[in-house]
Amino acid sequence: MPILEIKNLNARYGEQIVLENISFDLEKGDTLAVVGPNGSGKTTLLRAILGAVRHTGEVNLSQGTRIGYVPQKIDLERDLPITVKEFLILRGRAVPEGALKAVDLAPSFLDKRIGELSSGELQRVLIAWAIIGHPDLLLCDEPTASVDMAGQKTVYELLHKLQDEHKLALILISHDLTVVYRYADKVLCLNRKQVCFGVPDEVLTPTELAKLYGGDRKFYHHAHS
Amino acid sequence: MLIPELQIFIAGSLIAAAGGMLGSFALLRRMALVGDALSHVALPGIALGILLNFNLFLGAGVFLVLGTLGIWAVEHKTKLPVDTLVGVFFTLALAIGALITPEEEILDALFGDITQISQLDFWLAAIGSLVIMALLLFFARRFTLSLISPDLALSAGFRPHLLELAFLLIFALTVAVGIKFVGALLMGSLIIIPAATSRNIARSMNQYITLSAILGILGAILGILISRFYGFSPGPAFVLFAGSLFFISIFFRR
Repeated sequence: MPILEIKNLNARYGEQIVLENISFDLEKGDTLAVVGPNGSGKTTLLRAILGAVRHTGEVNLSQGTRIGYVPQKIDLERDLPITVKEFLILRGRAVPEGALKAVDLAPSFLDKRIGELSSGELQRVLIAWAIIGHPDLLLCDEPTASVDMAGQKTVYELLHKLQDEHKLALILISHDLTVVYRYADKVLCLNRKQVCFGVPDEVLTPTELAKLYGGDRKFYHHAHS
Repeated sequence: MLIPELQIFIAGSLIAAAGGMLGSFALLRRMALVGDALSHVALPGIALGILLNFNLFLGAGVFLVLGTLGIWAVEHKTKLPVDTLVGVFFTLALAIGALITPEEEILDALFGDITQISQLDFWLAAIGSLVIMALLLFFARRFTLSLISPDLALSAGFRPHLLELAFLLIFALTVAVGIKFVGALLMGSLIIIPAATSRNIARSMNQYITLSAILGILGAILGILISRFYGFSPGPAFVLFAGSLFFISIFFRR
């Protein structure tokens, strides 16, 4: 039985349709990559699963599923006097050293203020925050949007490691097709409508990608050994 | 019974502590001006209280709760930013309040005067402030999270919409309690200034919230003292003192 099942999901902001007839499902332990141009409804999809967006259609989570959410960015003002420890305790009351360790941050980070962190460190703290709740389904909105190349690789490796350890299902939004080929079991191409869904090697054909992003841009599939 | 002199200090301190503490949460999400606006929403209630001779706290309270519910409902219906709505509500209320407040009372309504509080007012202010602080502490985790990021709050199983309403209602209660002290025009300062000062120096949430309350108390006591000696109204004296502290704190920004 799938951990998440979505049927005919529609969402709109006012008159504007943001998601139209999205249907897919996700098995426990699977990684689904969501790709699509800017404004194609990727974030809205995650927020609909989270219950933050009004929608029609069905979003069925298998019973007892806990969701973890890693937002693309968090509108924290840099001068906000909140420490990493205090931020993590907002999720679970226990002292969160374990969660910090899981994202490869030293315990000394607990006393730093959120505003002092680099964007890569903040990203890790947000991931730590999400995994404190022991999620079965982790939603990641462009987890590497503000991280440099070297950092990007480690964030994905980290997510992959967490997934292996906790057998969690992962939905990640990514602009990077290399990441999709490397880490995703399934891919969902979104451009308000569902352009494609399936195994990346099968569905990410040049025609589909052209349909998704428009024009006849060329996409290269970098093979990895 | 407490001597009136002491009552004024106690009521002022408790009101300012509650205002400061509330402000530390409000400033998590740029809600600083909500306090300003809500205090104007209270004005018609105060005016009606004066005209029809019932307790001003009650009049202000009723209008505040209605105003808050209105703002919250319209916000979720239209997705307009809170401050836009609040801006509209508050000028409307100010206009109505100004039209119906008797002329000789208008200064008190606008600038407050804690030295004229009655026995009933004292107990209302004291108990009200304590309730506000207790509620804020009880909901501290949930409020902080919903104000910082509603989506994260949702993912943690909280209900950010309802928490936001609860916060606005506590906000309204704070305004109702504080309006006697600093009046409608300066009410915002009671909430914003101590918290803004504290934010400049605090290194953690705990420090931030505690210090906001302490700065409020300090401002209230000194404000009332200044007003004693120089015959100012205590409300403006509080704002002058708290405002000076804010400017000093800028130099100690982390």
